[in-house]
This record gives sequence, C-alpha cells and structure tokens, in this order.
Amino acid sequence: MRRPVPPRWWAAALLLAGLAAAAAAQTPPPGPAAPRPEGGVIVITGPSGRKMSMAVPPLLAPGVAALQSRVSEPFTATLRSDLEYSNAFVVTDARTEPSGSRDVAGSEAAGRWLSTGAEVLVDTRGDVAGDRVSVEARVWDLKSRKLIFGRRYSGGATYVERIAHTLANDLIKEFTGQAGTFLSTILFVSDRDGNRTKEIYAMDFDGRNPRRLTNHHSLVLNPDARAGKVVFTSYVHRFPQIWTMSADGSGQRELSTGLELNASPALSPDGSLIAFSGSAKGNPDIYVMNAAGGGLRRLTSTRALEASPDWSPTGRQILYTSDQTGTPQIWVMDAEGAGSRRMTFAGNWNDEAAWSPKGDKIAFACRNEGDFNICVMDFATGNTVQLTSDGANGHPAWSPDGTKIVFQARRGGSTQVYTMDAADGKNKRQLTNGGGSNMQPVWLP
Amino acid sequence: MKRNWTKPIAVLFVLAAMLPFAACKKKPPTTTESARSASESPTSPGETRVSPPSNRTPQDVASDALPGSVEEMNRRGYLQDAFFDYNQADLRDDARTALAANATWLKGHATTQFLIEGHCDSRGTTEYNLALGDRRANAAREYLTSLGIDGSRIRTVSYGKERPFCNAESEECWQQNRRAHFLFTAK
Repeated sequence: MRRPVPPRWWAAALLLAGLAAAAAAQTPPPGPAAPRPEGGVIVITGPSGRKMSMAVPPLLAPGVAALQSRVSEPFTATLRSDLEYSNAFVVTDARTEPSGSRDVAGSEAAGRWLSTGAEVLVDTRGDVAGDRVSVEARVWDLKSRKLIFGRRYSGGATYVERIAHTLANDLIKEFTGQAGTFLSTILFVSDRDGNRTKEIYAMDFDGRNPRRLTNHHSLVLNPDARAGKVVFTSYVHRFPQIWTMSADGSGQRELSTGLELNASPALSPDGSLIAFSGSAKGNPDIYVMNAAGGGLRRLTSTRALEASPDWSPTGRQILYTSDQTGTPQIWVMDAEGAGSRRMTFAGNWNDEAAWSPKGDKIAFACRNEGDFNICVMDFATGNTVQLTSDGANGHPAWSPDGTKIVFQARRGGSTQVYTMDAADGKNKRQLTNGGGSNMQPVWLP
Repeated sequence: MKRNWTKPIAVLFVLAAMLPFAACKKKPPTTTESARSASESPTSPGETRVSPPSNRTPQDVASDALPGSVEEMNRRGYLQDAFFDYNQADLRDDARTALAANATWLKGHATTQFLIEGHCDSRGTTEYNLALGDRRANAAREYLTSLGIDGSRIRTVSYGKERPFCNAESEECWQQNRRAHFLFTAK
C-alpha cells in the first residue's frame, strides 16, 4: 500500500481478524451481521428489474509471480463467472477498472470506481502460507463508502476455486437472501462409456469434474434426487427396475415391485416415497411406493398411458403426463390420486413436467409442430412462456434456488446438458460437451 | 438338468452346447448392493442373449428339430416383428398377420419361451416412450394369447427409444424402430 491506511480500513481489518479465527474454506461460519449501507442497496432481479452493478477486480496477492497463475487468476475468473452466471448482478467490464488504490473508504478512490459505473466493489486480497490459501473479501458500497460485507476464507491451495464459489454463495445470500448454488451438483445420464450403455454421472453446477456414479454396464436412466437420495431406472437385470442410492453413488439397491415397467421414478420432497410410471399388463399408470421398498399403490387407473410424475414441493400434489385425451399432456392430481385435472392445452405434446422449488411454476417439454422446446407455466394462472427455440430440447429440472433450469438439448449431432435463466431463458450455457450424448439432468437440492 | 448317459452321442453334443446356459440358471437377486457382479445386460436386437432358466430335458431337445441354441434360433428369425404407427400401440392389419403367423409357429413348438421387446422411434421423450414401448409389447402379447398361446411362455420388456434398429431421422427409419420384437429365451 502506497499511502497510510485510513481509519475505516483498520476497522474492517479488525472485523476480519475476528472472523478469521474460526473461518474455514468450505463452510465459513456466519459472521456478525455485516453493516448495511445507509439507504440500503437496491437489489431487484428479474427481467424488468435493475441489477446492481458490481466491480470484481483481480484478487490481490503478494508479489510472487507464481501466485498470480496459481491463485489469483483462477480465483478471480471463478468469482466473476459465478456472479455473472447468477444473473443477480451486473459485473462490470474488467477493462474499465481503474488503477491505483482500492481503499475506497477514501473519497478519491471511491470516486474512481464510481466513475466506471460500479455501485459496489468486491475487494479480495489473498495470501499463501505453506499449502494454505487465505482470502479476505470486503464488499463496499461505493456511494456511502461503507463496508457491506467482510469475511475471511482459508483452505488448501488446491481449493482456490472452491473458496471463490463459497464467497460467491455468501454474496448471493447477502444480497438476495437466497442460498447460492455454486457448490451444487447436477446428475445426468451419459452414453460416453460406449457399448450402448448409459450410466449416471455427477458434475459440478458449471459442468466441471464429471464423475461416474453407476457402473451397471447397462441402460441406466432418469435419475431423480431429494433429501440425499437418488432414484433411477436400471436394466442391469434385463428388465427395467427402480434403484436407489446415496447422492455420492454409494449404497446402490434394487427395489422390487413385481411390475413389468418401472420407469421415471420421482422422490417425494422428504425422500420417503417414490412415484413412478409402472405397468402390469400394458397399461402404464402412476404408482407410488416407499423409498425403502414395499407399500406399492396405484394412483391413476385410466386405460391411457401415464408417465413422468413429479411431486409438488409440499408433497401434496403430483404432476404427470397422460395421453387420455389423445395426445400427451400435463396433468395434476393430489398425492392420493384424486382430483386429477389437465394443466396444458396448447400444443400436441407436453411432457416431463418439473415443479419449481417454490411451487409457483412448472417447467416441461412442449411441442406443437417440429422439435420439442422448454416451456414454463405459472401454476396459478396457466400463463406459459417458451424459453427455447433452437434444436430439440427436453427434460427440464430446476436449480435449488429456482433461478435456473437445467435441460437437455440437441443442437447438431449429440444431446448435451445446458442451463438457462428460469425467468426468461437467457444466459444459456452448455455444461457438457463431447463424451457422447449427455442427457436427463437433475439438480441436487 | 437330468443326465441320461444312454442317449446317442448326438444328444450329448446338444447337452454340451447347453452347458453355458446351465451356468446361468441362477436367478439374479432381487436386491443387490452393487451391480458390478451382474453379467447380463440388455443387448441390441439380433445380438445374442443369455438364456434364462428353463426346465428342459434332454428328451425335449432330442425330439425337437430346432437348432441347438437359443442364440441360433434368434439368428434364424422364426418369429416376425409387429410394426406400429407413430405414437400408437394399436395393432395394424400387417401386425396382426405377422402375429398370427407367429402363433401358428409357436403352437408347433410349444416348449419355446420368448421375450417381446417394445420399441419406439426417436421422437418424443425418453420417459413417455418407455411407457409406449410397454404398451406395444403387451399389445403383441395380448393378441398372441387371444390366439391361444400360453401367456406363461411370454415376458415383455420396453426399451422405449433406447435400442433403435436404425438411427436416421426419416420416416423409413422411424417405422423400423416402432415395433414389437421377438427373442427366444428357451427352447
């Protein structure tokens, strides 16, 4: 630092020092409530709202060049990427960042950052001791020059990106009140192992670190996850059966039903029940059984085809697909199978419904003519928006915070996993590429 | 499997050919902690499959003109597939004709057991097509039983659109994939 540290900076440093004693990289303890700027920061998210403009300059690290590439660059890239991806903020262009001091408690420095259009500065400073990295993060409201947020993180030097994800989660929580999803996991099905097999894989929310969870050398399909459990269909014993396992792939167990078809399993929110598409004599209906096996009950009793159930967040209702009117459409019934009613009326094929975490929306694969797209319907009003228009899309699932939809799409040769903003379909990102086709994603809560 | 050492050498030869299947007689467990040990996996149509248990006797085999193995029976294609219209599980006339011919053959080979696979084209969702394939396989089974075939000889499995016979996006290819396909599982 080229000039004397202003008094406010010392105050912040003391706060950080107090936090540092107990801080850990993966689960920083909640610190004392960070002071809010006077007048509050306006945070409006959504397609019509104004988003807060946030400057996220590079992590300052001591002058060893090696630290730049090992620590500073991956940290900053991850943090910026997460905050941009969240769509809760506008992250200002790195090329507009002013040089000079970041000690924005002083009006001169704050003015320089304000002139770039930023309202908030995320100032991060790192240090490395042995194989440990520590990062101090301070978030300043530039107009009032007050500290909004201060926290210290530390962890193994190989977990720089994880520290960045943790900070991004904390910032999302701080500014939106929602839990961030930057340390979350997405499950999907991939045929990358060849031999006409499909297996369940897990990956980080951004597509990194794919790892295989099943090894059935067979057809493994349609994972669903709730309450630390995963259910799926496997053909490993020739006939499609429902299996259960933990979210890390351990404890795999087959659940016997006595039915010929056992497909599309969906866990109830508390993980105690499984709804699925079952069939005894060529009449696929929605069934429910205990997640531990047993307790089989049939919920629908039409002569038509029923498939693809999904539970409401309350566990009181079930969405499903039925072709009882001649085309596959989304229906809803209560969890005991009564009170069924049709939800979709537009288009000749609506399928694979997924209830949003708040229960106010449903996402589904929709088709009128041509390829399938992803549609989102407001559950109360029936108002529907189509979020895709390119390629063949399907199998939508919600992020735990409800801001994103993960789905599969074929744009060209193979099917891959994408995410987009649930509100308007913007911010599309492809999470998988290569490695054959990747499909049927579901976001772990 | 009963042993009868008094039969001619030809029967011994048949028995030898069946030994690999005897090894697979043990039923897969209904509950399995890990699938790694499972040796069976669905194979593509026309590929060889592992035979499930049967109660065949050497006498049955000796009196039968069929080839020595279930695999060879499947290669020879004694049973015709039944084809379906888009997003339908109702039997067309050509499907009924094919199934009636199958019924005639099956009555003449009353010990055979078989699997009916329901297949779908690539359009529509994976989950819906699994249910649709189930209906197609069962439509074929129901028609065969209505023609007098014992339902206990038949098992069904739906592959939905997961095991296509061809991969082009054309009506000709889609039609190939919309079918009930037959596979012998026991002689």
